[in-house]
Amino acid sequence: MSAQGYLLLTLAFYAVGVLHVLFHATTRRRLLSSWTVTATLAGFAFHTAGLSQRWTEAGHFPSVGLHDGVSLLAWTIVLAFLATYIRTRLEALGLAVYPVAFGLMLIANLTAPSEAVDPILKSLFLPIHTTLAFCGYAALFVAFAMGLAYLVQERELKSRSPHTFYYLIPSLEACDTISGRSVMVGFGFLTLAIVTGLLWSHSARGRYWTGDAKEWSAVAAWIIYVALILARRRTGWGGRRAALLGIAGFAVVVFTFTWVALFPGVADAAR
Amino acid sequence: MVVGVSHRTAPLALRERLAIGRDHLPAMLQRLRAEAGLAEAMLLSTCNRVEVYGRGDDGVDAQALDWFTAVAGGPARDEVVASVYRLIGAAAIRHAFRVAASLESMVIGEPQILGQVKEAYQVAEEAGTLGSTLNALRNRSLAAAKRARSETGIGKNAVSVSYVAVELARKIFGELKDKNVLLVGAGKMSELAARHLVRSGARATVLGGRTIGKAEDLAAALGGRAAAFETLREEMAVADIVISGTAAAGTVIRRDDVLSARNAKRGRHKRPLFLIDIAVPRDIEPTVRQMEGVFLYDLDDLKSVAEANLRLRMREAAAAEALVDAEVGEFLEWQKSLDVVPLLVELRRRGEEIRRAEIEKARARLGALTPEQEQALEAATTAIVNKMLHGPTVQLKELARDGHPPELIGLIRRLLGL
Repeated sequence: MSAQGYLLLTLAFYAVGVLHVLFHATTRRRLLSSWTVTATLAGFAFHTAGLSQRWTEAGHFPSVGLHDGVSLLAWTIVLAFLATYIRTRLEALGLAVYPVAFGLMLIANLTAPSEAVDPILKSLFLPIHTTLAFCGYAALFVAFAMGLAYLVQERELKSRSPHTFYYLIPSLEACDTISGRSVMVGFGFLTLAIVTGLLWSHSARGRYWTGDAKEWSAVAAWIIYVALILARRRTGWGGRRAALLGIAGFAVVVFTFTWVALFPGVADAAR
Repeated sequence: MVVGVSHRTAPLALRERLAIGRDHLPAMLQRLRAEAGLAEAMLLSTCNRVEVYGRGDDGVDAQALDWFTAVAGGPARDEVVASVYRLIGAAAIRHAFRVAASLESMVIGEPQILGQVKEAYQVAEEAGTLGSTLNALRNRSLAAAKRARSETGIGKNAVSVSYVAVELARKIFGELKDKNVLLVGAGKMSELAARHLVRSGARATVLGGRTIGKAEDLAAALGGRAAAFETLREEMAVADIVISGTAAAGTVIRRDDVLSARNAKRGRHKRPLFLIDIAVPRDIEPTVRQMEGVFLYDLDDLKSVAEANLRLRMREAAAAEALVDAEVGEFLEWQKSLDVVPLLVELRRRGEEIRRAEIEKARARLGALTPEQEQALEAATTAIVNKMLHGPTVQLKELARDGHPPELIGLIRRLLGL
């Protein structure tokens, strides 16, 4: 099967999750839950096959351009979701993950792969740097989603009249803890990604810092996360402020990602 | 059949009078079987219903009804007659299923009834009044009840004020283990909520009012400690959950108290603080609600959450009803397959058919017979058929009573060529 075929299958399986979310949100019944994780797992398997196929077809690590970027991002986000699910059995994270994974795969299916041919893409830094960066994005996405969940649940509890989300979202403590751990993981990846990015830039262009927007935004995100981690340290409870910082940090991450995806790789700056 | 009273038909005062203590149940079961002529019997006695479940020959339900009203007896007899219900056959079976699934409970989906029904069957089994029919009913209705609980949401989300408080605490803190609960005032309802919390692993501290004695008693009961009311601020600084239920006329916990507790330790203000005010008039200044990380629920708030949860359960009840109905249908089908009456009717019809045919043949050979001879022939053949069928009829009736495997009926049909 071609890489495109795999992606279409992946999209179909991730759609199960989206249907589940819609069903869940409208009826508050959990009929599909065990099937949904299984379907997502199946989608993830096809996705993995599709990515390896695409790697062969493209001749370089498939992370360049919008098509490959969103596809790989969806893959790492689902990976992060599954890893969190295995550790915590938390289904509610699917509320955010299923629609996002589906949306990203939809974009991947609608866009053509980048045919960029550049010697820089042959560099070993490409798979290393992007894998680290994408794993960071995914973990920070989980942190973002749980931070958002924290704020929503806090609002539900403050309102004193619970609605749908009160029942769907786990406890404040769970949101806070999972968000905090994901930030730690994501921050680790992000740091390594920035370091390898600088090294890559140096080996390709002889300069560590090019002053590109993506470099600035990556560093800005890094600083936000440092602030967040420091804020959490004293009490082990992030609370509202940590949730807000996690959301802000992720917004910067999204900007970084979009910038890189729309203006492929360091090739742009090197031109 | 089922005979009994429940919260739907009888007031609490009457149900209390009718209730049978656990120790008296075996003796009552024996009496019930002997005096009401029941082949099998089970007694279910909870605070919301007192019911007799039984099996016997036709008309036994009337006897059981008489027995029930007589035993309840005394001055309450007329009241019992007015509120007792009597169900037979499919309606009784349906009722048994619905009771076990807690669809007949005062609070739909409440978890206790399943255990109570289980125990009632257990007691009947030990007393030796449980036969195959009630045993089958026990297995199927309890299985259906468990399915209803696990596959629908009728048992989810608390509907009592004290449980709602615990559930909210879980929604805030997740695990309640090692969380500090501070009780201000030693009322009944605070105690109930605190008990649930302590059972989940929380530690309790009770603040005493003018007399520390009461607080010490409650603290001992909760496995916690007591402290003087003057230490409110210090205690609040380490508390995660505060339950206030004093009889004071004015505000007991002011905004300043909460503020000082929040600022007592660095970073403490970020951790959530769950304030439960179950006093009327209220103990806690309502404006603390606006403070970050502070969740204040008063009695009305808890009630409205309970009501919202109950509405959710009601919606789930429809699904549970459908599930239980399907299970009842299956059970009735299964019971029907055990019925030997059609088999007996057919057997008799077949015997009569053979007899008639053989008489016709004999007549053709014998020619004209005198009325006496005619009568003798009839009597002899009838006696043969009756005697032939007597054994199988008795045996089949016995089999039906003992509850035989349904395949047996099919086997017997084949053997007899029916």
